[in-house]
Amino acid sequence: MSIIQIKGLHKIYNPKKVPVHALNGIDLEITEGEFTAIVGPSGSGKSTLLNMIGGLDSPTEGTVIINGVDVSTLSPKKLIDFRLKNIGFVFQDYSLLPVLTARENVEFIMQLQGRKKEEFKKRAEELLREVGLGDRMDNRPSNLSGGQQQRVAVARALASKPKFILADEPTANLDSVSTSDLLEMMQVLNKEENMTFIFSTHDQRVIDKARRVVSIVDGKVAEDIQVEQEMAQ
Amino acid sequence: MITAISWRNIWRNPTRSLVIIIAVALGLTAGIFSVALMNGMTEQKMRTAIENQTSHIQLHHPEFSVNKDIKLHLNNKAEIEKILEDNPAIKGFSSRTVAGGMLASSRGSVGVQLNGINPEKEKQVTAIWQNMIEGDYFEGDSRKPILISQKTAEKLEVKLRSKLVVTLQDSEGEIVGAAFRVSGIFKTTSTAFDETQVFIPKKALQDLLQLPAEVHEIALVLNDLEQVPIIKEELQKELGESVKIEDWKEVLPELAYLSDATVQTNVLFLAIILVALAFGILNTMLMSVFERVKEIGVLMAVGMNKLRIFSMIVIETVFLSVSGSLIGVLVGIALIKWTSQEGISLSMFAEGLASWGVSDVIYPTLSAGFYIILMFMVLITALLASIYPARKALSLNPAEALHGLNN
Repeated sequence: MSIIQIKGLHKIYNPKKVPVHALNGIDLEITEGEFTAIVGPSGSGKSTLLNMIGGLDSPTEGTVIINGVDVSTLSPKKLIDFRLKNIGFVFQDYSLLPVLTARENVEFIMQLQGRKKEEFKKRAEELLREVGLGDRMDNRPSNLSGGQQQRVAVARALASKPKFILADEPTANLDSVSTSDLLEMMQVLNKEENMTFIFSTHDQRVIDKARRVVSIVDGKVAEDIQVEQEMAQ
Repeated sequence: MITAISWRNIWRNPTRSLVIIIAVALGLTAGIFSVALMNGMTEQKMRTAIENQTSHIQLHHPEFSVNKDIKLHLNNKAEIEKILEDNPAIKGFSSRTVAGGMLASSRGSVGVQLNGINPEKEKQVTAIWQNMIEGDYFEGDSRKPILISQKTAEKLEVKLRSKLVVTLQDSEGEIVGAAFRVSGIFKTTSTAFDETQVFIPKKALQDLLQLPAEVHEIALVLNDLEQVPIIKEELQKELGESVKIEDWKEVLPELAYLSDATVQTNVLFLAIILVALAFGILNTMLMSVFERVKEIGVLMAVGMNKLRIFSMIVIETVFLSVSGSLIGVLVGIALIKWTSQEGISLSMFAEGLASWGVSDVIYPTLSAGFYIILMFMVLITALLASIYPARKALSLNPAEALHGLNN
């Protein structure tokens, strides 16, 4: 089942002054349960594409339909609500709130969703145990390693029960052990809970684990490889 | 959770937050104490004026206060005194005969207002008897005693038991005079009062003026100052238009003006302090927002709406301001409590203060209501100071903010 449909996506920055064509007509469809890596050199447009999919930026032309909703037509207010309910974000530098503990960082998203206290407390604990941080729940980010912080970020992304998780270079700041642990954990979530993951990455270790690799060059899809299909063939 | 985040955000940079909290605290302590000092001076001036001059309410012939003609005495004195005696809200009253005249010694003369009083009744309404520095308050056996101030004694170069001659115009328009002996010398905190007022027995003045048993003024003191407007209205109804009833504010309008002006000056003074503090708070919050551009971007990305981001910044600002204010108010209260018991000696300015009607020891005072107004003003200031940083935060584009870009 398709959860993201991108059609004729263009993004031009500074259209009136010095136009920069970041995306030049992207067509892409992502189905539920995918483990997709979006790759490409710096400036190729992969971050812009991720921003569009995440509803963080609006396209100059084209549509981004998520779960049947054209996000480019949503008002900023509705877009925030849409993101809260449908998209989980994982950032390169973890981006946890430094003043909150791991538990509170995860609970916070569910509080924003207006869930009941008992419910979000229970789920936060479950998620943190699931990502292997059952014993570090009450630590603030400054007392966690990079890998542990990224695990909290994944738990936070999962907390809102999103349709998919967008991860912007999630392993860029991690050592090889943490990267391996994180990828393994994401793969488990992908397989066992059918959670859709979309990464932008330069990291070959992530690319190797991806089941689909979309290569972006000069704002266009240069290559779209279904790894498992190829392997199957 | 937003409240908890806001509170913890303040302490992410404890040095910066403490600097602004201390600045707010110091500003408010200084402001509160200055206002309390000003209030103390004003209250003292008013209290002195009420105790020595105006009492709470004064009754006159309707035209007496306009031209001070000694013929304009109260016509129905006995009836008035009966009504005043029967009113339980009235603590005491004193009927006076007053006239302007000249007071002369062998060394000089001065123009004064002669107050013919019944010493015992006068004790109930004025505090002259408590301000005697030499001699006594009509307690000796002098046949024609006169109480003068230290200032007047110095001007006329007289001392206790010196003879003074009073010259004035009687009710027939004739110039009359009589000799009095200084039986007491008083000193109040008001130079203006001391330089113009002398006291003699009522009967002596009535005889001189040829106004047997007539009085020009009845001064009364109530059990409760707050009841002045009510009692004034009651008395006016009972006594009718033949008696002009004025409260202390009407007798000395400059006192009422001073009271109002003090309140306005205090509010203005604090407003200036708060505006200055507002810019400090605004600067701190702007720095805080600019440092957290990326974090705010993340909050926007994960689904924190604009109202919540706005609230977070506003609550942080309020916490910062109110923390400083509470410390400032508490230190201010402690300082006022400490100084209000012993008073603050300003003896080096004694001369100037006395000419303004204030003693050289000031007792700072501030009402509880003022603190409520102040905290309200602080809250408004914090809210106003938070608007610009909060709007800055809201103007961030999440996609750009995530990369630490501030448009």
